[in-house]
Amino acid sequence: MSDIQQYLLDYDRNKKEATETAQKSATRLKDGQLKLISLVTDLGEYLNSEDGPTRAKTMSYLAEVLASTPQKVLTLQQRNLLCDFTLSRTEDTEGLGSCAKALLALEELGKWDDVRVVGIIEALLTNTHPLRQFKQQSERYPVLRLVDTLMAKYREALREHNESRPDFMSRFIAYFDGEKDPRNLMMVFSILRVPMTEWNIGADAQELFDAVFNYFPITFRPPPDDPYGITAQDLKDRLKDCISSTADFAPYAFPALLDKLDSTSMNTKRDVLQTITASVAEYGPRTVSLYAITLWDALKFEILNVQEEDLAQEALSGLAAIARTLSQGTSGSLNAYLRPIIKECNEHLEDAPTKQSQASARILQKIANVSAEVTNTLLAGVLPTLFLLFQTADTMAKRRGLLEVLVQLVRANIEVYGDWRTMGPAGDQAGNNALSQFRDQALEVMLNGLETAPAKEVSFRLVCLDGLLQVSKARQLLSDEHVGRIIQLLHVIVIHEESHGKNEVKEAAISGIVEIAHQKPQVVVDKAFPAFLAQLPDTNADGSRAYSTVLEAFAKLASEEQVFDTVLLRLKNKFSAAVSQGASSEYIVALLSAILYALTKGEGKLSQDSGKSSYYTDIALPLLQRASSSDASHPVAFDDERTLDLVGRICNLIIRSQPTEQQNAVAAEVYTLFRGVPENQLPPFKWDAAPETHKTMIVSTHLLASFRKDATLPCELQFLVSSLANYAQQPSLSIPIRSASLRQMSLVINKYYTSAALKTCMDPLIAEFDLFNSDKLDPPRIRIIFACLKGIVLRSSPVLSTLYPTLLSLLSHPKYGTTVAHGFSTLLQPDDLLTKENHCQILGLHKHKSFALLVPSITKAFKEADPQTRPNYLIALSGALRWMPFDIVVEEVNQLVTLLLQSLDLKGVDAVKEAAIGTLMSTLIEKPQVLEEHLNALISRLLTNATSKDKSSPPAVRVAALKALTLVAEKFKQEVVLPYRRQVVKKLIAALDDGKREVRGTAVRCRAKWLSVDEEDDE
Amino acid sequence: MPNSRLYTLKPLTTLAPPSSSRTWQTAPHPTLPIVATACSDRSVRVYSLTSFILLHSITGGHKRSVRAVSWKPGTKGQSVLATGSFDASAGIWRREEQSSNEDDFTNRRIGGAEDEDGRDDDDDYQFSCILDGHESEIKSLSWSPTGQYLATCSRDKSVWIWEELEDDNFETVAVLQEHDGDVKCVAWHPEEDLLASASYDDSVRLYREDADDWVQVCCISGKEGHGMTVWWVEFEGSGMSKKDFRAQQEGLSDERLQHIERLERSGPRLATCSDDRTVRVWRRTPRDQPNASSNTGIPSIIRSAAIDEDWYQEAVLPQVHERAIYSVSWSQTTGMIASAGSDGKIIVYKERWKQESNGVDAQNGEHMDVDGAHRAEPQPLTEWVVVAELFSAHDVFEINHVTWAKRADKGKRWDGEEVILSTGDDGEVKVWEVFEPPSP
Amino acid sequence: MDDKDNANPTILNPSDLPSRRSQSAAKARDDGGSGLFDDLIPRYNYLSDPFDDPLSDSDVDGDAVESIDEQEIYDLISTISDPEHPLSLGSLAVVNLPDIHIHPPASPLSSISTVVVEITPTITHCSLATVIGLGVRVRLEQALPPRFRVDVRIKKGTHSTDEQVNKQLGDKERVAAALENGTLMGVLRKMLETCE
Repeated sequence: MSDIQQYLLDYDRNKKEATETAQKSATRLKDGQLKLISLVTDLGEYLNSEDGPTRAKTMSYLAEVLASTPQKVLTLQQRNLLCDFTLSRTEDTEGLGSCAKALLALEELGKWDDVRVVGIIEALLTNTHPLRQFKQQSERYPVLRLVDTLMAKYREALREHNESRPDFMSRFIAYFDGEKDPRNLMMVFSILRVPMTEWNIGADAQELFDAVFNYFPITFRPPPDDPYGITAQDLKDRLKDCISSTADFAPYAFPALLDKLDSTSMNTKRDVLQTITASVAEYGPRTVSLYAITLWDALKFEILNVQEEDLAQEALSGLAAIARTLSQGTSGSLNAYLRPIIKECNEHLEDAPTKQSQASARILQKIANVSAEVTNTLLAGVLPTLFLLFQTADTMAKRRGLLEVLVQLVRANIEVYGDWRTMGPAGDQAGNNALSQFRDQALEVMLNGLETAPAKEVSFRLVCLDGLLQVSKARQLLSDEHVGRIIQLLHVIVIHEESHGKNEVKEAAISGIVEIAHQKPQVVVDKAFPAFLAQLPDTNADGSRAYSTVLEAFAKLASEEQVFDTVLLRLKNKFSAAVSQGASSEYIVALLSAILYALTKGEGKLSQDSGKSSYYTDIALPLLQRASSSDASHPVAFDDERTLDLVGRICNLIIRSQPTEQQNAVAAEVYTLFRGVPENQLPPFKWDAAPETHKTMIVSTHLLASFRKDATLPCELQFLVSSLANYAQQPSLSIPIRSASLRQMSLVINKYYTSAALKTCMDPLIAEFDLFNSDKLDPPRIRIIFACLKGIVLRSSPVLSTLYPTLLSLLSHPKYGTTVAHGFSTLLQPDDLLTKENHCQILGLHKHKSFALLVPSITKAFKEADPQTRPNYLIALSGALRWMPFDIVVEEVNQLVTLLLQSLDLKGVDAVKEAAIGTLMSTLIEKPQVLEEHLNALISRLLTNATSKDKSSPPAVRVAALKALTLVAEKFKQEVVLPYRRQVVKKLIAALDDGKREVRGTAVRCRAKWLSVDEEDDE
Repeated sequence: MPNSRLYTLKPLTTLAPPSSSRTWQTAPHPTLPIVATACSDRSVRVYSLTSFILLHSITGGHKRSVRAVSWKPGTKGQSVLATGSFDASAGIWRREEQSSNEDDFTNRRIGGAEDEDGRDDDDDYQFSCILDGHESEIKSLSWSPTGQYLATCSRDKSVWIWEELEDDNFETVAVLQEHDGDVKCVAWHPEEDLLASASYDDSVRLYREDADDWVQVCCISGKEGHGMTVWWVEFEGSGMSKKDFRAQQEGLSDERLQHIERLERSGPRLATCSDDRTVRVWRRTPRDQPNASSNTGIPSIIRSAAIDEDWYQEAVLPQVHERAIYSVSWSQTTGMIASAGSDGKIIVYKERWKQESNGVDAQNGEHMDVDGAHRAEPQPLTEWVVVAELFSAHDVFEINHVTWAKRADKGKRWDGEEVILSTGDDGEVKVWEVFEPPSP
Repeated sequence: MDDKDNANPTILNPSDLPSRRSQSAAKARDDGGSGLFDDLIPRYNYLSDPFDDPLSDSDVDGDAVESIDEQEIYDLISTISDPEHPLSLGSLAVVNLPDIHIHPPASPLSSISTVVVEITPTITHCSLATVIGLGVRVRLEQALPPRFRVDVRIKKGTHSTDEQVNKQLGDKERVAAALENGTLMGVLRKMLETCE
């Protein structure tokens, strides 16, 4: 049986085998076992068959054979012969697809000459025109691929052919008429794009344009399981490329597009605008200049009356694109385009502030961005009118409206020319920035406005302020004197102005100075600093506290690293002056706060030049000495624990970035603090040391926090820890000092124990005072237990699996079970000392570990616990969950829900309730389905907590409950919550009358949400 | 002021379960101890006045709020209820009363009445027909005393009169379009086919049939009238002179006896209440000799002016409401008037002979003199005084309707004792016991 | 393409709209500072020792009642958006703080307070005045406890047909019916969407 017979047999039964047959023939062809001539003659009888499908399959066989035939097997003559043969077959209405495939295969086997190419294209156009007569997409597709290949590889030949045959183009275009399939369309678009971009299409332009524009706008939606992954966007992009491909289209494209712009479909409008922008960019200045005005007249409406914000954006970029293209052409055409824009915007300015005037500002700003030339033209066109209107404006509102426009223009100007630090695209031409002609006028108007406008004109003054800020940024625009004047006005506002409303102007003024400091540090230092410092007394004997605002503002300046050092230095000097002048403690604390604030702002700078910098010797060391000394250098303020905390934090920030060897110097003195007294004479080693020495434990804590892991502590670890444990139990200690020493335990355990030593770190304590013995249990011991655990937890040491159970067993303690329970909220509570910055060891998964060890056992124990101690487990649970990231909780949450719901019934443990509600809210957000079955219980409990007037739920809880209740309405399906609607809406009325404004506000939002859960209107 | 408030209202109960949304109006059944309440949840709730619980909930008939309900009087063996809704249609519902006084607990269906499927149960109210015609919300409807006519009114400014020819075949006998605003309420004269309507256009109008053509016979508006939206109209009961303060006749001065006699000839009076926070009583000027045209057998084609009536304001009741008054009700047994409205108060007024010596009243300026000065009577002989003032009857909510009803529960103190029913925005219908002062 | 009554109203800037002083400013600091340094020392570390009193840690000023005032009413309605402009009634000056008044109960025995809001339509023949008024009334009826009676009126002389509009807005029955009208309700929903 011949291969073709075999092939025909298999074709419908098993296409794969059929293909193999074809490949076999190919191989035999290669090996010469099969003569091409006999192969072809074998086809003869089937090609003459009455049965169309047979003929088609036969061609498909030939195509497959050729496709798998390697190079060089067939001679040029053979290939020519096959080409002619195949082309002749295109007269047959069957098997066109296979013909195309065959030809494609042949093309692979050897390049064609121009005659052949023309021959093929003509054959197709004669025999298969129009292509749409072939109903099968699979038939048309190969043909399109063939044409596409020809277009890609034989451009010249086809271009010349087109020149020589005037009628070719129209036949060619018409050939693809009525193509609907997305895959084929992708082909057609790319085929047609060649003549569009490369051929001389003069006369055929419109035909060609219509051929593609017929498809505009693309409304194709790919089937959900589209195997070819062609999206509407792909088609839109190809189509856009076609339309924007040649300026010859302009006369047809723009009218047609603008016509479609009136469509009511937002998508259509979107496509139109994008296409316009693309075309404008491609068509070039000469063409665009012809349509610029028309386009402006059409596009402006999208901006003046915004329908959809993104459409407005598109329109704006369209307008900008026009300006950009025109800037490449004659300045004449550019001006011709800008003139009407300027005119219209000026008109809108007359009734500012309105939607129109704001829109104008947007337009101007967007276009002015384009180039120096455009910016200058616009400024010259708009500003004179603007200032004129400003002078004659009768209302503040109007003036504000006008200045808003000005500010927009200045912003654009900065984007073009850049600011003082970074050069813009046209930065080199900053010299002839048109803005400079209006500089003085602008300055005068805005300075004056900001200075003289009444305080209640907040928005107006804010605009002035913003404007001043912008002009002072603008590259090479203002002299330092100008900037100086601005700064002066700003700090006058900061320092002397009465506070008004939300102090927006003051705030803006401060951040304004900071921003200017970024551009012109020196001017700020010269102008603002003296003024600020002048307001900071060396001493405030009169007890006045007027300095606060100034101090805050000045400290804020530190966030600009250009002036960070100076700020810090001046503050330090003020501080020493204040101390020596015996200023009030308040003032000293304020200064320390300012220093700390400044340091936190400039932390980056601290770590950069760690070691080299003199911060330690200048600031930290002196502070430490003052703290520990008992002579005059020790200000009264330093007897206050909060002050010492500040001191500690200041030193911490400075020291923690130091290299170890420098730290060791401090570490050695961590408890002595350079007193020159032996350590064992001081806390925590000596309990009855002089009272003032206890307070400095607070400082020591912060120092301890700042050290690196490899720093050397002044004494042996075990000893230190047990001394601290002992010390912390002294009833005489004030809360801050006690807490400080407990935190030292956490720090030491976390940082300095080896993983091995960590396992046993608590043993000495257990040995020493039988820590976990429930008979001896009392708050001091509980504190120590949790202090140690806090250090261990972060390292998620295996020892936890023995410690936690012990801890949990204490929950059933009749007297202190509750106290223990409350401790759980501290375990994972974020701590400002136990941080990576403080070189603590924090393992990524420590929370997971604690969760795995605690939560399941708590839930289990809860079920077995007796009624009296049950609440303890609920408290412990929500305490543990409180700081747990929800992605950890979510897995277990199903088991927790019932407990969480019960904790909402507890009385007088608000933190617990808040935590529980918090977890429930996360559940509602992440995994509402687990709550669906408890919905009734959930809703009623939330309602009770939201509306209870008595102490049982304070405002915070009521608010939380209401927020959760809002989520319920949002997260569940209509039909699920609808049954509760009436009840909830009615119950919430009580919350609307809550004593607390915040609660009422939340209630209103919640109730609105529930009201919107409504039956579909049945009419 | 409390010293003049001789009567007290005590909450007896709230009909249970209450509706979870606003209720508009409650109509006591003419004979049975049941009431129907129009609810904004598109349903009508029928409660028992003996047990105070829900017997039926009539749902599925209307697509919008049910605004008004009215029982057809004089029906034998069955109850017929008309319902008027914001969906612009009126519905007629029937239920066979198999001799059941509502006390037998067998056919009681608490709450269960809510369910739709209950409707195929013939113990329940059957939808029998729908009256379409109004263009917008129906705001009130009322059966004439004989049950022959049903009047409906709507925001479309018209009043329609329907006549039931035979079983559920209603014919429109009149569409009266005199008003220039929503018609808020319609009410029938207890003895004559005389219809009154009150409106958003601030006027009150009366109509009667003249040569089988319904026409307006009187319009109270302008400075004569309320000058603001009139929310409710209600006629005085029939033959009240035998029941109210007039019953006690011996020893009365001739003057007073004449007054009673003239009042007899005027017939039942009309009470109205309004946005203007007043309750007013209107009285018809009696015709001195019986009207000719009314009893000559020959119907005159041309509308005789003789049929026009003159109603004048007899009294403005003491003004103690602080906001719009939505409803006023005239007791059929004592002649006392109850009113309620937006301020959540229930006020009860009583008419009495005016003391000869004005000095006595001086200590409470509550009552208002009858302003009939230019009329037949030179000096008003009676006065209305507030005998009870109840604050926050429905907590903070507005009261949409108030009415008197025969008491029927175990606690009934004497035959014909009346309770007050108030219907509120809170969805509750409350029952109030009226305690009189110890008679002197 | 522009059939709006007033396509181009004047717009107020948010900063100029009346607002409650922000919390930090609200607690009038005797030193005029803004409390910039207050949070330098995290609140939770030193004084939160859960072991001392496991009792309720309710907030200190838990009993200080903040009663509903004009500003609160303003905040409830100024964020309603105008049916024809994508702008808030506040920024269009349709509702203004000075035009909001709360009247306490008329008698010690009564618990009914009255809120009177006078709205100023953007122009004298604004056909949507009724819808706006309705929006305000609905918003307040949904957001205020029922002990408040809400009276919404057009400000005198700012509207050609203010009397009719006022009468409509005052008519409880008409309002109730309006709220059962699907299309109208749709408009109102859209207006109230922006309320926060």
